[in-house]
Amino acid sequence: MEEKLVAVVAVTNSIIMKSKPQQIKSIFFLGNVLFMVFMLMGSIVFAQQNDTSYQKRVLETSEVDLLFSYYNQNGTHAAVTGGEGTEELTDATSTIVLRMPMNENDVLTIDVGLSAYTSASSSNINPLDGGINVTPFDASSGESRKDLLAYINPTYSHSSEDRNTIWSANAYVSSEYDYFSIGFGGSYTKLFNEKNTEITLSGKVFLDKWNAIYPIELRDGFFDNRITGNGTYNPIFSEFDKETRNSYSLSLSFSQILTEKLQGALFLDLVSQNGLLSTPFQRVYFADFEDFYIDDFQLADNVEQLPDTRLKVPFGGRLNYYLNDLIVLRTYYRYYWDDWGITSHTASLEVPFKMTDKFTLYPTYRYYTQTAADYFYPKEVALSSYSFYTSDYDLSDYSSHQYGMGVQYRDIFTTARVLNFGLKTIDLRFSQYDRSDGLNAFIITLGTTFVGN
Amino acid sequence: MRKPLFLLLLLIFSSSCVAVREYDKVYLNDVEMQLGARANELFETNFHIYREASSGANGGKTGGGCGCN
Repeated sequence: MEEKLVAVVAVTNSIIMKSKPQQIKSIFFLGNVLFMVFMLMGSIVFAQQNDTSYQKRVLETSEVDLLFSYYNQNGTHAAVTGGEGTEELTDATSTIVLRMPMNENDVLTIDVGLSAYTSASSSNINPLDGGINVTPFDASSGESRKDLLAYINPTYSHSSEDRNTIWSANAYVSSEYDYFSIGFGGSYTKLFNEKNTEITLSGKVFLDKWNAIYPIELRDGFFDNRITGNGTYNPIFSEFDKETRNSYSLSLSFSQILTEKLQGALFLDLVSQNGLLSTPFQRVYFADFEDFYIDDFQLADNVEQLPDTRLKVPFGGRLNYYLNDLIVLRTYYRYYWDDWGITSHTASLEVPFKMTDKFTLYPTYRYYTQTAADYFYPKEVALSSYSFYTSDYDLSDYSSHQYGMGVQYRDIFTTARVLNFGLKTIDLRFSQYDRSDGLNAFIITLGTTFVGN
Repeated sequence: MRKPLFLLLLLIFSSSCVAVREYDKVYLNDVEMQLGARANELFETNFHIYREASSGANGGKTGGGCGCN
């Protein structure tokens, strides 16, 4: 069985290595290296756990989740080129989550991830370093075409002896070329009513910092003798004087067992953000400005200008019903409101179907709809006299449908083994996302869980 | 629309007068009945946070870590 597992991993890696660019290969190589490091760490922790305690542990043995995803999107409303241009983007992400029991009551979770993307859209921050004819519908070959996000998210949790109280503390650090984030938070959970009711209160703070990058034509000293248009190109751009972004969130969740086959949960978040909430490289074209071009590429009149505060209030709920021994119904709904004028509804349904005692097939469907932000304008609709404007179609009025299918292999006896770890689950999932403004995307994810023995 | 939905949720969550005992939780303990999202759903949640104006109330991140949202 172990040989089969190794063979499956090898074949999967081989397919991925043959079909993806160099950067994506690097992600999977780093993923493999991290996997081996965590396996060794887990083995050491496991070796230290052979005590003689009789109390049931919160987590019996160390567990490792290995998660991979490949995402691809395409559309024609790139925000970098003012709402008109290619949105082509691919992203490969590799994540490892290690859960280690520190004693009977405490668990340390370390979540480490790397994400690499290649984006035709962001390459057009500087469209002039690429092809012969400059156009917003082609990718440039410059450095802004790709980026790497790395993050680490450790969490320490403690459960009371009666398992009715849980607190946790967590931290978060991530870095990419133009964005750095550091965060921390904590949560407190209380179970009562014979563990039929659970309430969790949590808070998080993120202190982020932009390294602002602006469209090439708006930078100091820009000159190009290919500019065409009536008059002199004279954008109203000035650099942002503040490059920090802080987010504060307070979350309340309430879950309740309703019957022997039905349980649900409600979630409420309050999120306050301040600082630079605009994206510095997203162009805007005004209705009252002359158009200037280099080849087919229109030069920016400014970058998007959004308020420096935002209050977000999402409220959601889950309801799961055990229909019979073959089928479970998993439902989710969320209503969202913010003070930029956006409201949205999200609804999803997942129907896991147990084909055998080890294999589950689960089709998924998700519907999403939102209203536009007060500051959204299509290309060349906003006036230069407005205080706030953006042509980012992610803030426009649209709806989306997402269809998916997943298959999960689950072996509670973990008969397949790698080093000291037994294979508990393999979960493969595919989803197709179609947005009413023409954006299409798909995502493939593979998750595996190994447990120490 | 919102009022009936709220009343329905209130009715559902207030109807649990009798606690289900531990030994009667065999269906509730089924792995598919867990109220959280699946582990590999994290990636989908992340791309939704990037591509959609909304976020939160799903156990995912509420901010930070990217230039999104």
